[in-house]
Amino acid sequence: MLIPGKDKMIDRDKPQKLYIQLYNILKKNIENGEWSVGSQIPIEEELCKIYEVSKATVRFAVLELVRDGYLMRHQGKGTFVCKRVKHEGLAMSAGFKELMLEPGIALHTQILAQTVMMPTDDLDLKLNVPKDNHIIYIKILRLVDNDPVLLQEAYIPYHVCPPLLEEDVVGNSLFELFEKKYGIPITKVKNYFEVAYSKTDESKSLGLQKDSPILVLEQYFYSGDNEIIYIHSIKRPDRLRFTIELEKK
Amino acid sequence: MMAQGKAVKDIMVDVFSFPHIPYWFSIKQAIGIIKVSLLSAKKYPEPMAILVFDEKYNLLGTLGLKDILKGLEPKFLKPNSKSQLPGADDSELSVLWDTLFNKESKEAAERPVSDVMAPAKFFVEPNDPLTKAAYLMVLHDLVLLPVLEEKKKFIGLVRMVEIFDELSGAVLTP
Repeated sequence: MLIPGKDKMIDRDKPQKLYIQLYNILKKNIENGEWSVGSQIPIEEELCKIYEVSKATVRFAVLELVRDGYLMRHQGKGTFVCKRVKHEGLAMSAGFKELMLEPGIALHTQILAQTVMMPTDDLDLKLNVPKDNHIIYIKILRLVDNDPVLLQEAYIPYHVCPPLLEEDVVGNSLFELFEKKYGIPITKVKNYFEVAYSKTDESKSLGLQKDSPILVLEQYFYSGDNEIIYIHSIKRPDRLRFTIELEKK
Repeated sequence: MMAQGKAVKDIMVDVFSFPHIPYWFSIKQAIGIIKVSLLSAKKYPEPMAILVFDEKYNLLGTLGLKDILKGLEPKFLKPNSKSQLPGADDSELSVLWDTLFNKESKEAAERPVSDVMAPAKFFVEPNDPLTKAAYLMVLHDLVLLPVLEEKKKFIGLVRMVEIFDELSGAVLTP
C-alpha cells in the first residue's frame, strides 16, 4: 500500500474547496510517479487519516480522479492507478447532444419512468448535490424495429429545472429542453465509455442473456460550474453505433 | 379567520418537504434515505415519512417509521401476542425482544417499499374544508393526506398538526 508524503497537506485557510485541494495532491502523487501505474492507493479511511479530512472529501476527490482517468475502481479489490491517455487539446467539433446516434436509423422511444427520487449509492457524488436533494429520474428505452437497443437513465437535480418533471421527453431531447426552452446553456459534457456485463434487470430490458457484454456510457452535463444532468446509458453490442467527432484545437 | 372558513389549500404543506422514492426501492434503501436525509441531518419532519410514487409521479402511498418496522419484523403485525400488551410479563417480553430483528429482517429489508407502505387511498381537493380533511384523517388513521388538483395533479399534503392547530383554536376561543 502506498503512503504519500505528509508534506502535501490540506490547507484549511485556503478558500479552495477541500476536495479540490485533495484532488490536486493525489493527482500530483500520480503524475510525479510516487503512485505508479498499477499500484493500489490507500483505502478511504487511511486517506481520511493521512489528510485529516472527512470521508465525503476523500470520496469526491477520488471520484473526480476516476472520472479524469487517473484511477480505476475494481469492485471488492480497491482503487488503482491506471495508465492515462492524454486528451488535452481535443474538443468536440460538432454540437453535442445527450447521445449522438448513428444517423438515418428510425428510433422508437418509450418512457419507462419520469418521476422523483432521493439519491442512493453514489448518485449524490455523481451529481455533486447533498444527499437530501430531490432528483428527477427519467428512464428511456430506445428501440429499433421493435428491438430494444439502448436503455438510458437520466438524473437531474430537481432544483435545476422543476418543470422538467412534466415535460414531453419523447418529442424533445433533454438537451433541447434545457437550452431552448429553459435557457440553461450546456457548456461542457464529459463522456465515459466502458464495456461491461449486463446485470439481470439490464439483460431483461435489452432482451439479452444475463452477463452479456454491453457498452456502458456515462455522461456528465455541466452548465458553467454546475453539474446539471447525469445520464447512464447501456447499449446492446450488436445494434446501433455512437458517433463522436473530436478535433484538435 | 375562523377555522370553519379555512380550506385545505390554506394549510397544506409542500410535497418537497418530504423525501420521495419510487415504489421499486427496497426497504433497505428507504432506511438509508431516512438515516441520511433526515436523521443525520437532524431533520425531524412531522410526521417522519417518505412519499412513494409510481413511474409517472403519481403518489402511491406513504412510508412511515412504523410501516418500516412492521415490514422488517412480522411479529409486529401480530398484536394479539400477550407479551406485546402494556403491563405484560416482562420476561416474556424480553424473550420476544431477543428474537426480533434477526437475519430474517435483513432479508425482509430487500423487499420493495410497495409491500409495506400505507397506500394513498384518500385525497382532498385544495378548496375542500378543513373539516373534511380532519374527518378522513381521523377515520382512517392517516399521518398525511394528499391534496389533488382536479382529482389528478398532486400539489400538497395535509398534516395532522396543522389540522389540530386550526380546529382546536375554536375550543379555546371564548
